[in-house]
Amino acid sequence: MEQVLKVANSSVAWLLCSITVVVSFVQALLYMRMAKKTAIEAQLPPEIVTKSFRIGLISAIGPAMGVFIVMVGLMAAIGGPMAWLRLSIIGAAPTELTAATYGATASGVELGGKGYTITVLAVSWFAMALNGAGWLIFTGVATPALEKLRDKVSGGDAKWLIVLSGACSLGIFGYLCTGEILKGWSNAVATITGAISMIFLVKCVVPKFPKLMEYTLGIAMIIGMVCAILYNEIAL
Amino acid sequence: MENKQIIKEWKKKSILIGSPTNLIAAATAFIPVLWLCTTYNCWPDINIVLAAWGMVALSFGAFYFVEPISYYAALGMAGTYLAFLSGNIGNMRVPVAALALDSTDSEPGTIQAEVASTMAICGSIITNLCFTTLAALVGAAVVAVLPDFLVAALTKYTASAIFGATFGNFSIKYPKVAIFSLFGVLAIRMGLKLPAWSLIVIAVFGSLAVARFFFVQDQKKAA
Repeated sequence: MEQVLKVANSSVAWLLCSITVVVSFVQALLYMRMAKKTAIEAQLPPEIVTKSFRIGLISAIGPAMGVFIVMVGLMAAIGGPMAWLRLSIIGAAPTELTAATYGATASGVELGGKGYTITVLAVSWFAMALNGAGWLIFTGVATPALEKLRDKVSGGDAKWLIVLSGACSLGIFGYLCTGEILKGWSNAVATITGAISMIFLVKCVVPKFPKLMEYTLGIAMIIGMVCAILYNEIAL
Repeated sequence: MENKQIIKEWKKKSILIGSPTNLIAAATAFIPVLWLCTTYNCWPDINIVLAAWGMVALSFGAFYFVEPISYYAALGMAGTYLAFLSGNIGNMRVPVAALALDSTDSEPGTIQAEVASTMAICGSIITNLCFTTLAALVGAAVVAVLPDFLVAALTKYTASAIFGATFGNFSIKYPKVAIFSLFGVLAIRMGLKLPAWSLIVIAVFGSLAVARFFFVQDQKKAA
């Protein structure tokens, strides 16, 4: 295994994994340039661009810290460069670990266990690349069709389109929240207190301090996490 | 330029940037493994790779289609390309896009909403790339000195709290729909043992049906 990780962590591996990370970065830069240009053409207030960018930059810090820690765990299993590549693009850590494990299982060994040779590592890397390609190819090819689907469902009714977007988001987060709630009490506490504090912030605090709106997600996240830790302290 | 024309241009350019970059990334992600096999002459048996692929497809294959369809209305066109290349969709991309729309008073479907959500998603991608790169450089050393409770909080509860908070924000606008999206879905989840991909479909299209019902009723009342 040590030998395998040495290969997986070699400088060539870093270099080759960086290609895909750079593609993701370049895509973001291209879209930012396009958004800025469009904002000028459409004569939108300039603060729409800067404020939205700041919101993304700041609100992502919390979840990105989670990714940071998970990645350290993943580095031990599949090597640093591949963990970096996989967590910089589609596929969260559990998905990637599952794919890597399937690679080992198909070869008849355990991930990182005895018999996990370079050849098995290659199967794991193949499995992860093939899995990620599923989402990338589908969106790369079918996104214009999804736009047509949305047009059809909304029927060109602008009012309904707004409700439709909200309802779809509620459905997605209903699905995600119930998954967390069913994981156990501490996750349920984090989910529910996160929701309640967001509602409280938006309804009661933001009307008095409108500038706070862009920080609400981060604040609600911290409250939810603290409540879950406190629950754990009290319950155990 | 007229608004409609700008939106049309926006969509055209979104495809022009997004489609090739997502497909290129799908291909470049294979470069490391091809290098590994060529350099160390460790080409695995094709049947084993196919078996692993089969297992992966069984577990995640349905999500390749269900997720982009379900998230589309929340992400928009540029957002879909960005989010499905960069990942972390539920815990980063959709929450920051939704927050940007709220903070800038942008209505979905307008060019302002497209610009706001795209900028927010790009911001979150930059943050994520910074953190993964930091993790690659100093991750192990940092995690070694962090207290256990903080590691647990960051790995176990960030997603829960963010999901809850984003749900809470949407529920303010559509409380009746939210009741179904949370309690209805929870009941279905506990009562029936369904595969995860079908639960997303039920949650999204169920919420859509409930929203449509109340939308039509409200319009009748207004008429």
